[in-house]
Amino acid sequence: MSKYKKLALPLILVLGIVLIAVFGKALSAKSAVKDNRTEVVFWHEMGGPSEQALVKVVDGFNKSQNKYKVVPKYQGSYDEAIQKILQTHNTSTSPAVFQAFDISTAQMLHSGYTTPVQNFIDEDKYDVSKISAVARAFYANDGKQQAMPFNTSQPVLYFNASLLEKYGITPPPVSPSYSDITRVAKELYEKSGHKVKGMTVQVYGWFLEQALANANRQLANNNDGHTGNPTKVNVNNPDTVEFLNWIKENIKAGDFIDYGSGANAGANQTAGFLSDKVGIFIQSSASMGQLSKSNKNKLGITYFPHPDGKKANGVSIGGAALWISNDKPKDVQRGAFEFIKYTLKPEVQAQWQKSTGYLALNKDSQKTDILKELYAKNPESKVPGEQLAHAKANFSNSGILMEGMQLTRQLEEVAMETVYNGGDIKTALNTADKNINDNLTQLNKANGFK
Amino acid sequence: MLKTSTTDAIPDKKVNATHRHSFRLNAKDKYYAAVFLGPSLLVLGLFVFYPMLKTLYISLFLTNTLGNTTVYVGLGNYVNLISSPDFISSLFVTLFYVFAVTFFTVALGLLLANLASQKLPGIAIFRTLYSVTMGVSVAVAAIFWLFIFNPSTGFFALMSSWFNLPVMNWLTNPTSAMWAVIITTVWMNLGFTFLILLGAIQSVPNTLYEAADVEGASSNFQFFHITIPMISPTLFFVSTITIIGSFKSFGLIDMITKGGPTNATNMLVYRIYKDAFYSGNYSKSSAEAIILTVIIAFFTLLQFKFLEKKVNY
Repeated sequence: MSKYKKLALPLILVLGIVLIAVFGKALSAKSAVKDNRTEVVFWHEMGGPSEQALVKVVDGFNKSQNKYKVVPKYQGSYDEAIQKILQTHNTSTSPAVFQAFDISTAQMLHSGYTTPVQNFIDEDKYDVSKISAVARAFYANDGKQQAMPFNTSQPVLYFNASLLEKYGITPPPVSPSYSDITRVAKELYEKSGHKVKGMTVQVYGWFLEQALANANRQLANNNDGHTGNPTKVNVNNPDTVEFLNWIKENIKAGDFIDYGSGANAGANQTAGFLSDKVGIFIQSSASMGQLSKSNKNKLGITYFPHPDGKKANGVSIGGAALWISNDKPKDVQRGAFEFIKYTLKPEVQAQWQKSTGYLALNKDSQKTDILKELYAKNPESKVPGEQLAHAKANFSNSGILMEGMQLTRQLEEVAMETVYNGGDIKTALNTADKNINDNLTQLNKANGFK
Repeated sequence: MLKTSTTDAIPDKKVNATHRHSFRLNAKDKYYAAVFLGPSLLVLGLFVFYPMLKTLYISLFLTNTLGNTTVYVGLGNYVNLISSPDFISSLFVTLFYVFAVTFFTVALGLLLANLASQKLPGIAIFRTLYSVTMGVSVAVAAIFWLFIFNPSTGFFALMSSWFNLPVMNWLTNPTSAMWAVIITTVWMNLGFTFLILLGAIQSVPNTLYEAADVEGASSNFQFFHITIPMISPTLFFVSTITIIGSFKSFGLIDMITKGGPTNATNMLVYRIYKDAFYSGNYSKSSAEAIILTVIIAFFTLLQFKFLEKKVNY
């Protein structure tokens, strides 16, 4: 008996090795046989339902032709992906085409790691006039298209229309002022017997920047970086103060609920909104897919609110663009551009808007049945696109082309949190200004900018 | 009693000291030394010493967008950090967190271990329950507690509304956010600490307690004068591990507060990560890493110098 026992372990090991050898070979053979297409590695940062929609876009491209195969790879959050992209450049793991978010545009531009898509546009005589000009302008420099906008969103204000109806509250106008929203929020809080909080604004630097854009105020000098590298930032300005005062007023009235910052806050406020705990919140139009799908209430949408007694200047776009790395061979870069062209097709963009809430960038998308059906079913889903069409692009609402925007945003958020927790607005903004400018000066020095 | 006790470290030191004087290597020994030390030196050099030196090097420069060193600033990064109120508050926040976590982990662990060491029917169930958090991963724990802290739909919010109390927003108030992170970390640590301390308490010889019983000592007296002294080496071990572990705490903070609100939970390690991999400011984060290294080294030394002497049987 003991003789066999001694044999058991080596026998199992040998058997295991044989099994792995046989089936492992079969498995690897399978993947090798697949095809001889050129592989185009695509890094993206879309999670949740948006990722599923994106994978469908990629599958569609892979089926539409047989020369290239795009391989999508999820890279975590927008913030974390930037350093991965920059630090893996010129290695075998780097992507051929990647998605980088709006505020990293200056970094990508200065890195010199990308091939401007303009090169391919010129080669192919590709007609870009169909693509939203506002979105294109965001990722262009010196008249050259650097990257192609892909997922483009607008910040909008969502409200629970069913709750407003229930308590007999007049809904806010399509382009509301701060006091319009305060009125609705206070009424909702009072009429519901303090059961429903009126509003929330997530601690998110993007919203603060958008409030400035909508008030036609520039955050950085040199026209928010569009006419030269910024050297000074001015967060402490009357428009930021007005924006924060608006929030502070609602905090004092008790109708405001603070969910904090970051992805958790975003998830918590969505949960709060869907479960009738809060009536109004500001979020990207990209949340629409999720909000209309799992909502038992009627969803209301308005433009981003603007300061009282001022005309709305329009907000800038958010989202991300697709860039082509220049460390890959010609044919791979060509494949990357073919993929980009595919993502901009009217039907693809229309389906993208329908499933995610990002805006269709191709003007012809509006004529597709997909969007016509969507608008017929949910008329409110037109609002973000109308807001975008309404805005006349100028320097204040075309984004901030500046290095160090990620830290800038964190510091803006610290200022917002300070105010939400009862701190003085002026002091908080002065601290933010000092820290942002210190960082900017150092970055400009390190990069050799003047 | 104390004088005659010997710890493992003392004879070791003696052996080393005598060897150092009569240490002559012949050619064959040198060959063996190279063969045996080579691989580990290579690995350590490549993955530990080279990155350490590189961090020190980067911390003396400014880095550009691509992460390359460009302008030499000497100790400029360090001066900036030490004069920045943000960084100083981060330091204090970290120290507060480390000591609060260590204190509560060890105190609660000791309490539970002492309770569970009673020989009662069914006690095994409690032993399992108390150590169950050992099997919970950081991500699961973070999400579990996030559900509890949620101000609209969370468990604490529900409880408050049952009793008509104002809902506390745990994660947006700087003070309560810190406590939320501490509670979660202590909860995570408790299983391991409990198990180690339970083992220590159970290995205390029963004869000591029997003798104390004969003398008529109360159970409180027995706990403080028999149990605690007998398990002091384990207590020392557990607190060292917890202190070092909490200095390095990252996952829970990343998932629960992301360092916020108003940097109230922005511990050093998280700050290093954010400065490097969010903001791309490698020089600043390298300087912060060096400062953290110095602090941890300081505390480790302190513990070995002072606490080890206090450990007694």
